Amino acid sequence: MRRRVEPFTVVSVVGVTLFAVACLIPFWMILAGSLTSESKLSISGYSFFPKPFSLDAYETIFTGPAVLSAYRTSAFITIVGTAISLAATSGIAWVIARRLPYISKPLAIFTYIPMLFTGGLVPLYLLVTQYLKLQNNLFAVILPLLVAPFLVFIQVSFFRQLPEEILESARVDGASELRIFFQIGLPLSKPILAVIGLFYAVTYWNEWFHALLFISEPDKYPLQLLLQNLISSVTNAATLPQSTAQAAPVYQIRLALTAVTIGPILLAYPFAQRYFVKGLTLGATKG
Amino acid sequence: MAASPSTTAPGPEPSVRAPEPVAERHPQPARAKQRRTRNRAGKRPQVALLILAVPAVAFFVVFAYLPMAGLVVAFKDFDVNLGIFGSPWSGLANFRYFFSSGDAPRILVNTLFLNVLFLGATLLAGITLAVMLNEVRHKLFKRTVQSVIFFPYFVSPIVISIILQVLLAGVGGSGGAANDLLKVFSLPEVSWYTEPGPWPWILTIVKVWQLGGYLSIIFLAAITSIPEEVYEAGMMDGASRAQMALRITVPLLRPTAAVLLVLGIGRIFYGDFGTIYAIVGDNGTLFPTTDVIDTYVFRSLRQLGDFGTTAAIGLFQSVVGFVLVVAAVLVQRRYAKETSVL
Repeated sequence: MRRRVEPFTVVSVVGVTLFAVACLIPFWMILAGSLTSESKLSISGYSFFPKPFSLDAYETIFTGPAVLSAYRTSAFITIVGTAISLAATSGIAWVIARRLPYISKPLAIFTYIPMLFTGGLVPLYLLVTQYLKLQNNLFAVILPLLVAPFLVFIQVSFFRQLPEEILESARVDGASELRIFFQIGLPLSKPILAVIGLFYAVTYWNEWFHALLFISEPDKYPLQLLLQNLISSVTNAATLPQSTAQAAPVYQIRLALTAVTIGPILLAYPFAQRYFVKGLTLGATKG
Repeated sequence: MAASPSTTAPGPEPSVRAPEPVAERHPQPARAKQRRTRNRAGKRPQVALLILAVPAVAFFVVFAYLPMAGLVVAFKDFDVNLGIFGSPWSGLANFRYFFSSGDAPRILVNTLFLNVLFLGATLLAGITLAVMLNEVRHKLFKRTVQSVIFFPYFVSPIVISIILQVLLAGVGGSGGAANDLLKVFSLPEVSWYTEPGPWPWILTIVKVWQLGGYLSIIFLAAITSIPEEVYEAGMMDGASRAQMALRITVPLLRPTAAVLLVLGIGRIFYGDFGTIYAIVGDNGTLFPTTDVIDTYVFRSLRQLGDFGTTAAIGLFQSVVGFVLVVAAVLVQRRYAKETSVL
């Protein structure tokens, strides 16, 4: 029996389509704008079609040293940060998940408290600048974000779903607890490692707040901070009278740099998206 | 997942629960169970295993618990040379300074008002999108739409700020896509970046754009767990799709929404620093409607270098936030028991 198409269904399809289009338009405007000649952008500020077409901005970006070095910095923060985060998160999650008497429960509470209460900005700032002396060190960006309690608990709930029989049989065969973790626990947890790694990677890639606080040398700027500086400088340029003759295509560069910043996420997205959905639903239903 | 430690997404937060016996999930012969329990009680946990927890524990001690202790700076007349613990005590002077400064009412009202607005709008958007997505039968189309509306969640606040400038500012503070659209309807242009009035609504739209798809996925997961029979019963009684959505789906989503709402209320005292600061920055003309605790703290720290007062505000925020979060978690647990969602 074929179902009659009801008005509500039609409204729904139109509704979600409109929302999806609203989600896409800004990205299209950035891409189109980054390929539009500055002569048009400096009049309207935006463009829907790359006409007149121009690659000036990308040329400027990729021939100058600043963007490439920022790309390297961001890549370093993302890769090193994600690797350390994954290791630290899996480690503590495994110990909590094993339900060791006198250890797992206190450790879980120890991990949970920072979700409820934080020292806030000032003590962190003093800690990093006065005591650890990490100014202009990329680890000042990585370390404050190293372990997210929320992701620890997602991982704990995954570890607890692993079939106890497999671990037990390894134990009977005389494998040490560490060996069980590395040779059985981790290999069985690849899906959740992917989810958690992706969450960390996106966080590190998008990170700019700690960079803003702790990195002041321009040659150590990550991509996001470089972009943020461009926001303020173009804003400043925009509020000034037009006497500041613009040699470089500033509007176009700004959009091109934005496109370049989103690029890696966009490329990884089709692959990553199903994992994100999986991780979210796991977190939402299992807690 | 965005920039700052205080970024709030009314997302799921796990709760620590009392360990349930594993056997509940993996029923197995009684003898095997017995052996395991005996094993566990008899053998002491291998110390080597604890090494796995060391890096994370070290992280929490240094970056979570030390800063908590460092909050005493709120009661100190901080001197960089003397350090946090060497500086002289100043009692409540830092708090007095903040609450008598005249900024306090504005930023408190802004923080609460904006967060209520964000929370209400994003939840409503999430539910609406989920209910609508649930109507879409075409698999590929549905998946594509889901992917697209989820994407803004992964975009950094800086990128969002650039997008807003393209839409609102155009060139030299006038023009921009939004104003050109207004012109089509022969409405007057607005100089967005010098006009504080519309910003709470602009930021709300930004939040809906950012989180609508993300929340719709959580709600859609809740919808899929609604048993099919409920809808079959509805169909038997001749309910239309709209009636089924409004009378069955939406009421059954209420527990999930309640949990998210409660968690959101728990975090209501934390502004969304990343998004707001990236968009507004140091643009003072917009402060009357957009300045929240987090941006205020950040600015005082950067511009005045006044550690004592800033820490006092931070402590005030943490304490009120803590009370709210704990209250929220307690309420959430009651709900969680009833609904088994979240």
